[in-house]
Amino acid sequence: MSSSSIDRLLKNPVSFLDDCEPDDDIAISSRIRLARNISKYPFPHAASPEILQKICETASSAAGEVSCFKNAKDRTFIPAELDETDREILVERRLASREFIKTPENRALFVCPDECCSLMINEEDQLRLQTIHPGFKLREAWKMIDRIDDELSQHLDYAFDEHFGFLTSCPTNVGTGMRASVMLHLPGLVLTEQIAPTVKGIGKLRLAVRGIFGEGSGNNGNLFQISNQSTLGESELKIIDELEAVIRQLIMQEKNARRSLLENNRYAILDHVGRSYGLLKHSYKLGFEEALQSLSGLRFGVDMGLFSNIDIHKVNELFIGISPAHLQKRMHAQISADEIDICRAALCREKLRQIG
Amino acid sequence: MLCDKCKKNEATVHIKEFHNGKCTNIHLCNECANSAESSQDIPGIGFNLAEVIFNVGKLTDKLAGKNKPAAKDQTVCQVCGWTPEKIRQHDGKLGCPACYQTFDKLIKEAVSQVQHGVLHLGKRPGHTRHDSPAVKRSEIDALKKELQLLIKGEEYEAAAICRDRINALKAELESIEGASDK
Repeated sequence: MSSSSIDRLLKNPVSFLDDCEPDDDIAISSRIRLARNISKYPFPHAASPEILQKICETASSAAGEVSCFKNAKDRTFIPAELDETDREILVERRLASREFIKTPENRALFVCPDECCSLMINEEDQLRLQTIHPGFKLREAWKMIDRIDDELSQHLDYAFDEHFGFLTSCPTNVGTGMRASVMLHLPGLVLTEQIAPTVKGIGKLRLAVRGIFGEGSGNNGNLFQISNQSTLGESELKIIDELEAVIRQLIMQEKNARRSLLENNRYAILDHVGRSYGLLKHSYKLGFEEALQSLSGLRFGVDMGLFSNIDIHKVNELFIGISPAHLQKRMHAQISADEIDICRAALCREKLRQIG
Repeated sequence: MLCDKCKKNEATVHIKEFHNGKCTNIHLCNECANSAESSQDIPGIGFNLAEVIFNVGKLTDKLAGKNKPAAKDQTVCQVCGWTPEKIRQHDGKLGCPACYQTFDKLIKEAVSQVQHGVLHLGKRPGHTRHDSPAVKRSEIDALKKELQLLIKGEEYEAAAICRDRINALKAELESIEGASDK
């Protein structure tokens, strides 16, 4: 049942990339996640399979009472019942973490109809709730998750302490249990070689910088996730305020870098964008990283007004469409890494023919 | 001041460590600090925050070249049976919510190194009302009473935390009222 649900999922546009506004060319998406646990149970890594099953049942039944997950049979995913490709699809769509699918037993995932909120049960914490919005909309993401969290808490006795706040399996998440992050597309800062000092500076502000696929991932497609490190000692809104201030600053720096490139190094931009476009339009074998880098270049060109006829939504769709599991699903077969690269190139050629 | 490790170069890195209420200082030159960091004698600086947690106590001894291990903490969580050793083996992850009470002192020390503050100032289960001025005012009043008790009991460290929380709440209250005046 879960597998056919994955097929239905694939028909959805990816909500966090779909609905972007013109100003959202730099901040691509905003995400907030909350870590919560039920007071009477141990944390997942210390629980027996029987207890994990109980936690799963208790949390699932509470989720069933929450408006956005109600009647969500076809949007409930049991990782243990899915094959590897289907599990990967969930990660590529940013609905589940890699850690979550690594040990699929006694875990469940709830997804709302437009995929903007999801709930992982028995990840590092018993409940990991997330909301994800297109563009720079941390406050909207917070409002939504705050409401869902309140609804859930009516059905669950959360582990909470007056001093420490929400108790989490790792004390690095204790307090608000909140991790807020914004995904930024920063080709200007990368091309002007300002990215390294910028990342270093952000690290000093108790913020973390990661690649598109979270912890440990490098610079893929010039996409960076900036998130808060500290979860205790400040309210959720204060954390969001501080993160927003840094993001605004970064957006300004990126705009300045783009302007300076356009004024002083126009041919470098044209060459970068032109090569990216050429590679996507004429390749017959494309690796994942190469494709991401080229899509970043194409998106950069669209943002800079170098293409009049390319729809940014279609470019955004490709960011997910070129991922390995999505390509596997598209081919309806288990294909080799080489064949995936061939399919990826074919998909890019086809899409670019349609959109440009 | 000379480096505590090589005793040759001028110390430029100063590490202050609190463990079981005891404060230890260690002073290193740039070279020794770098080699300690790369050989992971200073675990987690800028990398894995969880590793910082529960490595307190071992740090200064190791850096100063004292190989004598710190005395083993025998505390056991009555709910899940976890010990500080087990927590260490799990990269700083705890066994259950009750561990926060059992290892309260250890966690507070560790958390103060990796978090912005040590007191929760965010929402409470099922309540988002923490944004309303009335709730903030009543929380400030309650904390003021607590502050008096702490001063009376000569618990100055906790009193300072309490004072900071009052100030933070006052600042938040001002910003809410300022926003609603506009």
